[in-house]
Amino acid sequence: MKVRILRQKSADSEPYWESFSYDGPMEQSVAGLLDYLNFHDDIRTADGEKTDRILWECSCMQGVCGACAMVINGRPALACETFLKDLKGKEITIRPLQKFPVVRDLVVDRSSIQENLKKTNLYIDEYQPSEKESHAQQYLAAKCLKCGLCLEVCPNYVNGNTFYGAVFVNDCFLVSARNREQRGEIRKAYRQHFESDCSKALSCMDVCPMKIPILSFLTMR
Amino acid sequence: MKKVIVIGSGIAGLACSATCAKKGMQVLLLSPAPSERSQSVMASGGINAVLPGGEPGDNVESHIEDTLRGGRYLSGKRAVTGLCQSAGQILQDLERIGTVFSVDAAGAPKRRAFGGQSHKRTFYCGASTGKQIVTALIMEARKYESRGLIERRLWCHFYKALLREGVCYGAMIFDEKKKQLETVTADALVIATGGQNSLFGKTTGSNMCDGYAVGRLFMQGVALKNLEFIQYHPTTIETAQKKMLISEAVRGEGGRLFYETNGRRVYFMEEKYGPRGNLMTRDVISREIFLAPGPVYLDISFLGKKAIDEKLPEVKEVCAKYRGIDICREPIPVVPSVHFFMGGIAVHNNHETDMKGLFAVGECASMYHGANRLGGNSLLAAIHSGRTAANAIADEAAERVMREEDFSSELAGEQARLEMSMASKSPFPVMYIRDMLAETMQRSLGIIRDEAGISAGLEDVDYYLSVANRISYDGSVSAYHNFSLTGILTLAKAALLSAKARKESRGAHCRSDYPEEDENYACATIVSYDGGSYTVSFDKEHAYES
Repeated sequence: MKVRILRQKSADSEPYWESFSYDGPMEQSVAGLLDYLNFHDDIRTADGEKTDRILWECSCMQGVCGACAMVINGRPALACETFLKDLKGKEITIRPLQKFPVVRDLVVDRSSIQENLKKTNLYIDEYQPSEKESHAQQYLAAKCLKCGLCLEVCPNYVNGNTFYGAVFVNDCFLVSARNREQRGEIRKAYRQHFESDCSKALSCMDVCPMKIPILSFLTMR
Repeated sequence: MKKVIVIGSGIAGLACSATCAKKGMQVLLLSPAPSERSQSVMASGGINAVLPGGEPGDNVESHIEDTLRGGRYLSGKRAVTGLCQSAGQILQDLERIGTVFSVDAAGAPKRRAFGGQSHKRTFYCGASTGKQIVTALIMEARKYESRGLIERRLWCHFYKALLREGVCYGAMIFDEKKKQLETVTADALVIATGGQNSLFGKTTGSNMCDGYAVGRLFMQGVALKNLEFIQYHPTTIETAQKKMLISEAVRGEGGRLFYETNGRRVYFMEEKYGPRGNLMTRDVISREIFLAPGPVYLDISFLGKKAIDEKLPEVKEVCAKYRGIDICREPIPVVPSVHFFMGGIAVHNNHETDMKGLFAVGECASMYHGANRLGGNSLLAAIHSGRTAANAIADEAAERVMREEDFSSELAGEQARLEMSMASKSPFPVMYIRDMLAETMQRSLGIIRDEAGISAGLEDVDYYLSVANRISYDGSVSAYHNFSLTGILTLAKAALLSAKARKESRGAHCRSDYPEEDENYACATIVSYDGGSYTVSFDKEHAYES
């Protein structure tokens, strides 16, 4: 199987494609494939040329930390839960998320996610729920990985812009559900950084690894 | 205003930072990645506490006794008492900051049974308790970030502590984006870097927890404790990419372990240990599975889909996603795997090391779990230790008189060394040595060890160290992977030496050549380092329990 990876040596250098051959098991995930390519004495391209190991972010390897978000065959996904047997065609293309600045290879800087949440003061402070709690939804919202897949796929999100995307709505919902006193402030932030610019494409829900029902959070006007 | 540097932003680091900020201190929170990537999000089963409304007869004394007994009486009673006494307040505080606990119809948090405990006292959030707590603590830290009391920096790796004459002045850190070393100074430095996973390659935990900080501090003269006590979690599932944890919650909810012989299921834990056999401590169950005559399975299917969906959705998902197994219909094939490190940096009850101003919290410190940790006590200890360190720093009479210590020449020297190394080429790939180390450690410090195996491991690690010391820079991996190698190997050697010195079996340290528990070893193992020589001793005076 041929694997094409978009690589980049540093933040300010030009990206380039490199091809590799993979002959391991197809039950493997893309994360397993990257490990397989990296964990040999040498790493060589499909042409047999020695090259640098492929840098990618990885922590849990089981879909609960969000580190390995990347674009696989054109679709934003977590590498550790995208399986080779489920991919169509004889070639896989892997590239870094495009909405964030590349640090090296498949590693991108997603710190704008946390920065936006900090700028809008999204924190619970004291737990003061409303009488009728949406416990199951809150549980799901608290599982958000901050992986950035929802922003990558969103037609309206641009890094550095004032539209903060689905990840922001998720935390708006969680904070307002857990502390009713915060609701007024959060509504303001929601209007300013989400409502007016969301075109309801809802592609964010298709790619969310935690299957968070963002749509049901959009009723918080 | 006192200044504190916290290295690591998992639950222990977050709890410490938030408490410091609450007490009006200025925190610099450093980590390579945001808290969402920390191993803490992988903790699944729950957190222990005794609160009103629990099982009849349960009390804090029972929690203390269960913890001490589970750890084979190797942890200090005062420390464990502090841990268990604080648990109720910690639970209430976690609720107050918005943790989404699983609750009953009346809205009260629910409890489940966990291994080695006399009463049901493990509070939980489905099977993603760690993640739910991390989410709440991130928000709590964000509150103080917005008030300017916590400053977070990502892409930062610990390089070494700034130590002089037994006093810590801060840390030298490596900024991965700038590819540069720099020094940061403060009144206190708190290490919260998690377990020593990379010694064993892939474990149930995060591969970002590699033990480097612990190894490097050891090389700088900080003593380590109980390194031979490595917890093998009894129930993990083999997948193509790693062994994944099957939460103890499955057994807490009634899951039964068995193997098959002649088509008949043998519920070996129940046969040997009675009706609560599946809830024995992890060290005991791992050994029994290791010694079982055939593959072992964990069955929870009888609970039914509705209850499984409600209580164990994450376990169901992992099995389905990575192995195509429907736990509502079939048993889970399980094997033990390295999961937790009871040993780590030797700290006193206030979590300060022997170096003034240097603290360690969470899994990288050794304190509460003795020879074997109880499920549900690690999340508790992460929060309690973070708070304890923060309180101790706050209670210090005054800000440290920061003598005009100048670390600029030390920084320049290290930077020059790193740059020289980065400019060179090596025939030895760093990752290859790390892989070989993992194989060695799994062989030598498995569930059951002996002198010959440990000695063979020491020979291997000595060889890797000799290669690492001659190695030039491996440009095909990150700078961090290069400079962290010697610290990791040194830590591995310290662990092997500790295991060799303890000539008995206790908790997770099981020696086939010394199968009995020996009262002469009823104290902590301390290993120290001085200019290349290692010394192992036993803390018979209980110096670290003060």
